[in-house]
Amino acid sequence: MAGFENATPAVLVIMALMIGPVLFYIRVARRRHDLYVRRLAGVDAIDEAAGRAAELGRPLSFCTGITNVSPVLYACLGVLYYVGRKAAQYRSRLLLPQNTPEVMAIAEDVLRDAYRAEGRSAQFDPRNIVFLSEEQFAFAAGYIGLVQRERVAGAFLFGHFAAESLILAEAGQQVGAMQVGASVSPEQVAFFIAACDYTLIGEELFAASAYLTREPIQLGSLYGQDRAKLFLFLMIVAGVGIATLNSVWPDLGLTNLDTLMHLGWGFGS
Amino acid sequence: MNFRSRLIKLVTFLGGIYFFLEFVLPGTVFGVKVDAYHDQISNGFITVAAMAAGLGLINLLMQHGSRIVFRRRDWIYSLALLTGLAVMIAVTLQDWRGTGRVADEVAGISRLADFAERITSDHEDGTEGVLPAAARNRALREAADRLLTRIEDESGALDLDRLGRGSIDHTLARGYLADAGNGAAAVRAAVAELAVTDGEAPDPAANAAVAGALRGLAESWRNLRNLEYEHSTPKHVYRLLFEGLFVALGSAMFSLLGFYIAAAAYRAFRVRSAESSLMMIAAVLVMLGQIPFGVWIWSGLPDVRLWLLEVPNSAAFRAITFGAGVAGLVMAFRMWFSIESESFDREGG
Repeated sequence: MAGFENATPAVLVIMALMIGPVLFYIRVARRRHDLYVRRLAGVDAIDEAAGRAAELGRPLSFCTGITNVSPVLYACLGVLYYVGRKAAQYRSRLLLPQNTPEVMAIAEDVLRDAYRAEGRSAQFDPRNIVFLSEEQFAFAAGYIGLVQRERVAGAFLFGHFAAESLILAEAGQQVGAMQVGASVSPEQVAFFIAACDYTLIGEELFAASAYLTREPIQLGSLYGQDRAKLFLFLMIVAGVGIATLNSVWPDLGLTNLDTLMHLGWGFGS
Repeated sequence: MNFRSRLIKLVTFLGGIYFFLEFVLPGTVFGVKVDAYHDQISNGFITVAAMAAGLGLINLLMQHGSRIVFRRRDWIYSLALLTGLAVMIAVTLQDWRGTGRVADEVAGISRLADFAERITSDHEDGTEGVLPAAARNRALREAADRLLTRIEDESGALDLDRLGRGSIDHTLARGYLADAGNGAAAVRAAVAELAVTDGEAPDPAANAAVAGALRGLAESWRNLRNLEYEHSTPKHVYRLLFEGLFVALGSAMFSLLGFYIAAAAYRAFRVRSAESSLMMIAAVLVMLGQIPFGVWIWSGLPDVRLWLLEVPNSAAFRAITFGAGVAGLVMAFRMWFSIESESFDREGG
């Protein structure tokens, strides 16, 4: 059956080496509260956009695009929670155009929590969470209409986007909204850079929530994954070095790292 | 931690460990088939999703139905939605029935062909508990007669002029109709050769000839009925609504992208800073390297373009993908073990 035997012992060891630092730094973050996270201009702009919307008396919008229930959505929800609290503080409307029913239910719950955390539960209006369409371009058309009609002052585009990314970002640009875009897909990052005021690139989307909330678990995860990346970087350097040595001096007979990765368990079919 | 939170965390963990093991374990471990039930479990998830879709339909009817009944604000949009829903369901059901009818007719002919072969194989294998071969051949002949009568009746009732006299489809359909007629004649001739006298052993060649003739008839009948159905009213309405409306509207939205790319490129490539200047130079080199005019200016431009795309661009792409992949893995691990941040882990939240 397809999908089996995808993990060799080496892959499991690497996974453990990636998860280990995360657990360690979560413990560290619980003891220490001074862990440094470098400044992210795009995340700082969230406060600015929320304040600007309150001053103008116009709504904010937070769109997770075509993100399904996944780790990317989980990262976006941290930011949504923060933006929701800001909207509740400033008594701004926060519009949540939705593409996926499952995500809609989760996003509604998170936003309700954000209003509750600010003691403004009565201000929470589920009608601001609008299901547009599951179809990509019907969703984009609905988003354009919503942004143009409501003349949003701040638009946050966080999550997974495809060809509709530029259509969404241009809609906000046309009504003069301050926009922050964040996507893990490199193709769409280019569109956001061109059409948004601030852009979070790739993993910065995952870091945004930790940066905003400074919660130990999120900070520890961020620190841990950075160390894991450092380890993987060293592996890449070592792998390139070994492959280069082998090609220049074939007699050395060094074992390439990819050979180690493919060593099996020695049982099963 | 309350009971609800514990339950959610337990279910999340069990779900996570199931898919993790499904991903990493071989199909058989120490002789135990660990993948035996995976398909059934996957079908279970699909069933749950189907039930959710049904629930969604009920919800939609209640929400928008009440808005129409009580003439609430924007009720006209709800009416448009429900009308569209009803029309599309009706048309899709009709289409499903139409295509299903053709498939059933063809499957019926194919089953008869399988039966003709089965009679011989059962006789040769000495299969017990079945009727004698001659009786089964008689049943086959009667079934074939009924089938041929029905096909001849339906062929006579077909109005191929609907397909447009002289059109390609009309010509094709006439050809398929002739093939079906020939096929029917071949089947009639072949069943006449079947051994139907009690005690007589079946002739494998005669049964094989019946099976072959039936399969040929099935093929030409499927082609004819499919082509005819393509020109039926339900199919026309379906195509009008789906391809003429839904797909066309999606394409219209997609085409907006061309204009937006131009507007965004103008803003991005305006020379305001060192970064935007660099972007503009890179973009101009890539664009010129892509077109014959660029080659006319300098033959090395396509190589420059290729280098820009394959070296700096690929490196940046890989870095972004790599970073996001590691961050996603860590986030997935946290989800699996419900290592929640305080924002999402309040009691009763």
